[in-house]
Amino acid sequence: MNVHFKLTVALLGGIVADLRRPHPFAAERAGFIGCKVSRCRDGLLVLAHTYMPLPDDWYADDQRFGCVFNSHAMRAAMQFALTNDASMFHVHLHDHKGFPWFSRPDIRESARYVPDFWNVKPMLPHGTLVLSADAAAGLCWYPEINKPIRISRITAVGFPIRFLGGSF
Amino acid sequence: MKTIHIRQSFLGERSHELFTGVRIGVVGLGGGGSHIAQQSAYLGIGHFAFFDPDFLDFPNLNRTVGATLADANAKTPKVAVAERVVKSVNSDAEVWAIQTEWQKDFDSLRACDAVFGCLDGFSQRAQLEESCRRAMIPLIDIGMDVHKGDPYSISGQVVVSMPGLPCFRCVGFIRAKDLDEEGRRYGVAGGNPQVVWSNGVLASTAMGIFVQMLAPWCPIRSGSRFIGYDGDGFTLEHDSRLTVASQTQCTHFTSISDLGDPFWNP
Amino acid sequence: MATEGELRELDPLSGGAKEYVEFGLTYILLPALRLPNGCSPVAVDALLCLSQRDGYPTRLFFAQPVASKNGLNWNAQNVAILQRTWFAYSWNYVASGRPIEVLAQHLKALR
Repeated sequence: MNVHFKLTVALLGGIVADLRRPHPFAAERAGFIGCKVSRCRDGLLVLAHTYMPLPDDWYADDQRFGCVFNSHAMRAAMQFALTNDASMFHVHLHDHKGFPWFSRPDIRESARYVPDFWNVKPMLPHGTLVLSADAAAGLCWYPEINKPIRISRITAVGFPIRFLGGSF
Repeated sequence: MKTIHIRQSFLGERSHELFTGVRIGVVGLGGGGSHIAQQSAYLGIGHFAFFDPDFLDFPNLNRTVGATLADANAKTPKVAVAERVVKSVNSDAEVWAIQTEWQKDFDSLRACDAVFGCLDGFSQRAQLEESCRRAMIPLIDIGMDVHKGDPYSISGQVVVSMPGLPCFRCVGFIRAKDLDEEGRRYGVAGGNPQVVWSNGVLASTAMGIFVQMLAPWCPIRSGSRFIGYDGDGFTLEHDSRLTVASQTQCTHFTSISDLGDPFWNP
Repeated sequence: MATEGELRELDPLSGGAKEYVEFGLTYILLPALRLPNGCSPVAVDALLCLSQRDGYPTRLFFAQPVASKNGLNWNAQNVAILQRTWFAYSWNYVASGRPIEVLAQHLKALR
């Protein structure tokens, strides 16, 4: 299945600005993006609408990892999903140029918490994104498919249109 | 980059890759849309979705670029003419020739990276904009009018609806009273006079705006989202209504429930 | 916004009526709406628009045109709403209000 993730240039700018803010102890920040989905002729569209930044005190101080969010974060994200009938995508930033990819801990932890969103919204896909300074990558968990699907295309829609990852 | 595109290499190293990889939708393959199809093919666009239920006939031959006398005689579907034009320039292009109303194939529309709206009537334009906004697709609308009078007068416009930015209603291009008046009329609002040269100007302008969206060769001017065409004086100008709206957020497409499929089922 | 009670009033005619808002306009989806005698088909998905649009204060859309005893002006064809296509006959001046009453006024055209 082709998965095409889209967000506006303005939303992307807001997300990157938030993720670049220094944190008292976490090496990296993270957030959640609330999305809607739609089928299209060649696959699935994931359409980002709302960015949920994580307040400073929703992080856990764990020096083994760059970013660990606590149960407040997960509860808030789940509530957003429920209230807005939204697909939820975790997002964080590797602030370098070029295509990013998930670290092994990213993949291991994503596989644990992303499917938890099915507890509130079992019929929707959920996932995770990693951004870089000029590109992005993502994984999508589709209902009833155990393994995540690599997001084929990530597009920031605006002037200009920016193809951040996948087939470009 | 293929030799045939070498003269547009100023659009950037990646431009050919971008053009080859995008899918454009063209809704309406008549006077405006047929120009769009032709120019897109020459530009090197790789994937097309053409939507039009109509077919060639003698009354529309005067402005359908790529159509022939034989097509008018045979009543060739307009989407088939457009596909032929594209394939004659780029045999590798993927073309979805959808000979039906665009509203009957939302899945194909949603698969597009950008859509050109070449329709008659405000209601059709409003519906197309709503569907494009739902799928977060930039929409470039073109249209011309011949105003009856003594003398006659030709005008037109190119208007861009970019997700996140002011929409057709924000800039006053689509107004409730126009939709109301059209809604009360029997049947469709088509059948307006059309001429090839005005359609050509508008379609070419729309193509330039699209290329600037994808591979800008200069800084993008915000005014290039609503361009008015004076077909009597042969000028194109930024419409002042955009200046008013450019500082505001779109107030019509704001809710998360206006995105995606409202009846989603995996 | 229709109340849950008002939506349930529609159950005898259409099980599972649900409200949707699209671009600021309010619609009630009426799955398999049972139509008056003499109509073909006997039941069809319908969409009751409770907001002013296209010059009508309210409007009843159908998933397909309906044949009835009366000659109706089906002047809305293939209208895209909620990513489905709809058809509607011209039946004007039905003010918005309680959904069951608005629906009844629109269905008069088919009797």
